[in-house]
Amino acid sequence: MGSICLENIFKSFGETSVLHNVSLEINDGEFTALVGPSGCGKSTLLRLLAGLEDLDKGTVSIDGRDVSGVRASDRNLSMVFQSYALYPHLTVRENIAVPLRMRQLSPSQRLPLIGSMITPAATKKEIADQIYTAADMLDIGRLLDRKPGQLSGGQRQRVALGRALVRNPAAFLLDEPLSNLDAKLRVQTRAEIAQLHRQLKATFVYVTHDQIEAMTMADRIAVMMDGEILQYDTPENVYNRPASIHVAEFIGSPKINIFPARLINPDQSAKLQIGVRPECLKQKNGEYRLKAVISHLENLGPEIQVQFILPGIDTLFHTRVDPKSSNRLIMGSTTELGFDEVDCHLFDERGYSLSPHKTREFLKTLKQSTLENA
Amino acid sequence: MTKALNHQRQTRSAWIMLSPALILMMVILILPIMIAFGLSFTNYGLGVKSVDFVGLENYERIFTRSTFKKMFTATVLYVIIVVPFSVGLGLGAALLIQSVQRGREFYKTIYFLPVMASLLAMAIVWEFMLHPTIGVLNETLQGGCDSTVIHGLLTGSWYGADPLTSWYGDKCANGFPLWLGDRDYALWTICFIGIWQSFGFNMVLYLAGLTSVPKDLYHAAEMDGASSAWERFRLITWPMLGPTTVFVVTITVIRSFQVFDTVEAIFPDSGGPGKTAYVMMFAIYEKGIKQNLLGTGAAITVIFLMFVIAVTLIQRWFIDRKTHYA
Repeated sequence: MGSICLENIFKSFGETSVLHNVSLEINDGEFTALVGPSGCGKSTLLRLLAGLEDLDKGTVSIDGRDVSGVRASDRNLSMVFQSYALYPHLTVRENIAVPLRMRQLSPSQRLPLIGSMITPAATKKEIADQIYTAADMLDIGRLLDRKPGQLSGGQRQRVALGRALVRNPAAFLLDEPLSNLDAKLRVQTRAEIAQLHRQLKATFVYVTHDQIEAMTMADRIAVMMDGEILQYDTPENVYNRPASIHVAEFIGSPKINIFPARLINPDQSAKLQIGVRPECLKQKNGEYRLKAVISHLENLGPEIQVQFILPGIDTLFHTRVDPKSSNRLIMGSTTELGFDEVDCHLFDERGYSLSPHKTREFLKTLKQSTLENA
Repeated sequence: MTKALNHQRQTRSAWIMLSPALILMMVILILPIMIAFGLSFTNYGLGVKSVDFVGLENYERIFTRSTFKKMFTATVLYVIIVVPFSVGLGLGAALLIQSVQRGREFYKTIYFLPVMASLLAMAIVWEFMLHPTIGVLNETLQGGCDSTVIHGLLTGSWYGADPLTSWYGDKCANGFPLWLGDRDYALWTICFIGIWQSFGFNMVLYLAGLTSVPKDLYHAAEMDGASSAWERFRLITWPMLGPTTVFVVTITVIRSFQVFDTVEAIFPDSGGPGKTAYVMMFAIYEKGIKQNLLGTGAAITVIFLMFVIAVTLIQRWFIDRKTHYA
């Protein structure tokens, strides 16, 4: 009841190409996050799916039906906007009622004054019940008679959610719904949206630039950059098996460390890049060792984030250490950091991930040769 | 002790700093109105030696004499006709201009031209166009009578109706109206010129109002299933333009009450055939300035001010109650 298929989507605004050949398949009931830096085309992709923008090329289908030429109001989708887009002159109750009135009442029943008179009481009650159900689900029952201007940001966000889920659409589209909330509320609402998804078992497509939101809520993440989907996989796989350096660098905070390396062995010589997550670097431990100069320390309480440099390389690297660990770190001092083979992500010169088979092969030779600072 | 003194000193300097503004407001705004109010109870005229207090005589005359009855009729009719058409056309033009992709500036300029042009000069042009014998309008209408197609369509004789029962057929046979010279048409013609002249201004106000409607609302409405243009207008455009509409209506009402230059340019002596276009401003001008009956002129001015104040109060009430969303 809500599978979505985007095939070979192209879209440009004037001269600027925003999406080139994007394909995405979303299963029924799945929570998919479109994540990427601003300007990567994720919102445009969502709006194309919604029907608010026209696509240049490609097809959009919902439940197997090609809806490419169908207008937004006939696609049976619900959307939550970044600005919430609540109707400011209507009360919360009326706001939530709009999608129901538009779809359940005839044009004459929607007329002011007369419309209310000719609407059967049963229909009115049905609409009122649906509003109460949605309001209960979001705990906004006591706000129903207020206007959006009298609500806080978090409450408006809930009303926008309520307006989206009051009816039963094929899928819910959410366009950065948390970006206008403060940090604390964002964490709380994140969990609530994930909970809603479990409760409704409906298809969610969630656009965000925040990789933490994507990682914590989604069943599958589509990482987008420059109008392309770089990787579409579960959060675990995107994190643990990034398809390219771009994905590896975008997902995870602090950023993954990319060590330039060169493979030297008798048969072949190749430049490659080794990615190691900050939490996988260990002090004075691990199969491969690096001499690191500590340049900055940030104590966050449960962990200390360490910035360090390697002699001869102009990049800042990151690791985290337990503040309770016995080895005290001093800014400016040199320490030895190490990592294990299992934590290595190998990328070729162009930044693409090496296949597991090749990685194993390379690591075998790596052991025999030297790891060099290129 | 010192605190109280300090407070006193502060109050004094506050009054000193306020005084220029207060004095100017008194002299320029309040005092003239008070004087007009005072004069309205006298028979004062410029250069007249003796001034007598006549009580409510001026007002009594205004509310009993037939000339003033005509004045009220003309003014109220003018306002009732011009305001809805001018506001409606302004909104319509603004919506149309907003919807076109190209040539917005062109249309804006065209519709705004009558506002920029001096109404006095334009009134003369209209007078010429509406001239009963040499005017463009009557000549065009007359030309239509000779064409069987146009005549047939406009009179309904094509579908078997008697041409003489329709307005056009009747006038073809018996001659077209004198427009400005005709008791039955003069005020309507003045109204038409008023609408023509003022809707461009309302259009500009509405265009400004439209730019402040968030695009996201239209997208939300589309997602909610409001697919027809009418639904979107009712759900978003019209309510979001509420504050603009209150302002536009108020401005148009006040400006319509103030109509003067068209009447003065076209009917300088009479106020229209049979005084059918004898609007309030023209009456003030005629009584107070031309006939030097300042007392009567002041009384009409006071009544006029009442109208304007009433309109303004209604506007404030609307803005406070109905259309303030933020």
